[in-house]
Amino acid sequence: MAQKKGFQMPLEVEYPKGLEGWEEMYPPMYMFSKDRKEWEEKHFWFHDKIHAPEAMYPLDLIFQEAWQISLSQYTTRVFCIPPAQGIAQRMVGCYMYITPVAPPPPEIIGEKAGLFQKRVFYVFDHYDELWVSWLKKFKALGEEMNNIKVPAELPKFESDDLVFPDPRGYYTSYEVIEAWDRLVDLMIKGWQYHFQYLNLTYLAYLMFADTCRKLFPGISESTIGKLVAGAYVQMFRPEEELCRLARLAAAVPGVAKVLKSDISPDKKIESLRKTAEGSNWMVEYEKSKDPWFYVSCGSGWFHYEGSWTTKLEIPFGYLKGYVERIEKGEKIERDLAAIDKARAELAEEYRKLIKTDEDRKSFDDVYKAVRTIYKYAEDHLFWVEHWFHTIWFERVREFGRLFVKCGMLKGIDDIYLFNRFEVPYLIEDMVTTWALGEGVPSRSQYWQARAEKRKKILDAAKKWSPVPALGTPPEEIAEPFTIMLWGITTEKVQDWLKGMAVVPGEVTELKGFASSAGVVEGKVRVVKLLEDITKVEQGDILVCPTTNPAWAPIFTKIKASVTDIGGLTCHAAIVCREYGVPSVTGTGIATSVLKTGDTVKVDGNTGIVKILKRA
Amino acid sequence: MGFIMPYTLWFDKAGKEAIGLVGGKNASLGELIRADIPVPPGFSVTTETYLEFLSGGGMKEKIEEILSRIDLQDVASLENASKVIRQLMTEASLLKRIEEEISFNYQTLAQVFDVPNLPVAVRSSATAEDLPGASFAGQQDTYLWVQGNDQVLEKVKLCMSSLFTPRAISYRMKMGFPHEKVLISVGVQKIVDARAAGVMFTLNPTNGDPSKVVIEGNWGLGETVVSGICNPDKYVVDKVTKEIERMVSLKECECIYDPIRGGVMHVDTPPERRELPCVEDQEILELARYAKRVEEYYGCPQDIEWAIDKQKPFPLNIFMVQSRPETIWSQQKKEPVLGKKSAYELLMEKALSRVKVGP
Repeated sequence: MAQKKGFQMPLEVEYPKGLEGWEEMYPPMYMFSKDRKEWEEKHFWFHDKIHAPEAMYPLDLIFQEAWQISLSQYTTRVFCIPPAQGIAQRMVGCYMYITPVAPPPPEIIGEKAGLFQKRVFYVFDHYDELWVSWLKKFKALGEEMNNIKVPAELPKFESDDLVFPDPRGYYTSYEVIEAWDRLVDLMIKGWQYHFQYLNLTYLAYLMFADTCRKLFPGISESTIGKLVAGAYVQMFRPEEELCRLARLAAAVPGVAKVLKSDISPDKKIESLRKTAEGSNWMVEYEKSKDPWFYVSCGSGWFHYEGSWTTKLEIPFGYLKGYVERIEKGEKIERDLAAIDKARAELAEEYRKLIKTDEDRKSFDDVYKAVRTIYKYAEDHLFWVEHWFHTIWFERVREFGRLFVKCGMLKGIDDIYLFNRFEVPYLIEDMVTTWALGEGVPSRSQYWQARAEKRKKILDAAKKWSPVPALGTPPEEIAEPFTIMLWGITTEKVQDWLKGMAVVPGEVTELKGFASSAGVVEGKVRVVKLLEDITKVEQGDILVCPTTNPAWAPIFTKIKASVTDIGGLTCHAAIVCREYGVPSVTGTGIATSVLKTGDTVKVDGNTGIVKILKRA
Repeated sequence: MGFIMPYTLWFDKAGKEAIGLVGGKNASLGELIRADIPVPPGFSVTTETYLEFLSGGGMKEKIEEILSRIDLQDVASLENASKVIRQLMTEASLLKRIEEEISFNYQTLAQVFDVPNLPVAVRSSATAEDLPGASFAGQQDTYLWVQGNDQVLEKVKLCMSSLFTPRAISYRMKMGFPHEKVLISVGVQKIVDARAAGVMFTLNPTNGDPSKVVIEGNWGLGETVVSGICNPDKYVVDKVTKEIERMVSLKECECIYDPIRGGVMHVDTPPERRELPCVEDQEILELARYAKRVEEYYGCPQDIEWAIDKQKPFPLNIFMVQSRPETIWSQQKKEPVLGKKSAYELLMEKALSRVKVGP
């Protein structure tokens, strides 16, 4: 009875009914197993609610595969952050768990320190030009992915121009195989680029936070975040483009009228194209669309989220609202200059309180360094998780359509039920069957049966609440992302240990990070699945696993946000600070303990959420 | 040509240039007034009065003689000497015209407030007392709720004699501080009829954080907080963001003026107020604002006594009663906290560090 409660070991997990067979959905190296038991049990595995809050569709795993390699290698083999190593992943009943790998032996730490010093300081010194070349390189990669041609069908007969005057030599079968390989190759490469500087930006942030706390021991986390965050952030461009388009529309009554009407976006576009002024506005719309409306409607990690190019009701919904507000005389844009000025003034006020000239100089130095490189954290997100992923989803959908056309699978999105190593099986089966001629069966029945089985498994997994953590909590963590992005701290680990015994109905108070200042009371709206975001109403207190910068327009509606996971620099925190919305992140249990309709008091200054009244 | 020093000086007439005349505490009040900080009005009975007092009737010689016979090892001899000296002083009279001047000032003060027997605080202000580097504070007397001419004069002499409490005598003897070099001035100040009062620091005394104002307060007069006999509320205000961290305590006792008993006394706090915050948010912010201003004026961290008047409306109810340099963190050598490190050195430090997480 008086045993100390710890976390379960990975192989002790008991899976609920309906999950049988889940293991085959994911590649073998993603399983906990006896052959790695000793190493695995020494580590601390926590459910990654930021990148994988929901049950994982096999094909969506590719992003996670790509970042496991990329994030880790920059820490261990490229920029060599001395005591840190990579972040490993495992699947547990369709949910992804991660761990910061234990530190390397001391002699390796020493070797890394030398390389780290040389390489990292170089990046800091040359960041501005390095960013320009990174963006150029990344945009080129995305364009390459955009240019991949996926045939809409497998032709009955190859056309003349592929035979005369000189036969091309490879035909649709090869095109399809090669297109898929190219697509996957570019995705893996894109993620190699993604982490190029990200580890360093987080390290810089941690260093800055440390510096602030040495000078001002009582400084709040949210203040540190405010000092670092920039106003001119590419992630907010999509919303700025909406404002621009809304203003253009509001100036032309005919266009405004169409945008304000209640017809579908497709009908609105049709109607606008009928007039000269409408057409002109559509030209502007197309200008904004690429790349800015390639923003995901969610995090960019899941195929079912959609983007502002596929779910037109999202941008058109926002546009309607903005036009109405402009007509009422309201200002819809965020005053970026004012936000930036406020940040600069905040920094100056603290700077004035520094006692010695030496400290002031150190502070200036550190502040400059972090402000320079932190832009990467804020800017890369749009290009990778949004623009690049949206292009990926477009291409994959084309493969999905081709599978359906050829009778391999029933639904366009069924391709996501197979992981990226399995999709080539289906492709080869499909093109082989085509090559073999008329009246030849493929194994479509087999693939479709597997797809159906996996749908059921995922449904069962969605109903299951996985435990927050497994294994042995660490003594220390050196890996910067673990600390900052996932917010793994001593308190968090303790809370999870305690939370194993928490009865949701008995909780009266939640504690998390004070991510954005302000105190408000209001009614809760719990949003666990992405589609529920449209249910959010004016004045709601948003409670979700983690929020999303792509939900930016929602932030003018809500009174506060409370999340399960995320440290001070997770996007929930950043966005809330930008919008002046109080926020408490990293509570661990908000979505399991709070219910829509509950009345709560959110204190973004202390990180405490009090339940005032149950719905 | 002799330059005649005044026997009394109104607070607003004497700042740090007059420490020798009015003592550290009173000079600091003068400075606060100059910095536009609301301070309850009053006047100093100067060191000139003290010197005059000592020179009358051979008192100085008598005191020196008694002091010379003290055996520091013998507590009884110390206590006896103190008793004799203090009695000597309280039984003597000040020069008639000095007594008249003091009374005249007191009456003036009373008229300003239209309260005939205006309650005042009579406080010692030694010339060595509140100077940075010395913590003589608290070794001399303070009398609260003094009313009427006779009481004022009595307490003024009592305060002067507090230079010769056993503790004060032995402290000076141990520290090697010559008795005749310590002069004393006495402040007579309108007392704030306090709804709440306390102290505040222009840094966080727990960790030296210079970006915070830490306010401690209790119901009633500030005595309970200054003397440390109660558990005060604690409010930590960030100087830049104005965020307030509130730690409201269980306040079990307070120091109030009891008109029936005619004196200041410690009573139990009524139950309904024990867990209520003794100051409102707007008062907290106003106090912090003043604290910042005082620190900026003096150019160094301050330890400030404040009081909130019962009757007056906000913001006129806020007063600073005293301010002195903070003695603990400011004493530490001004080493750079960051150790003169550049961004790169700090980055290396951070990159090599680990965060302790385990239970």
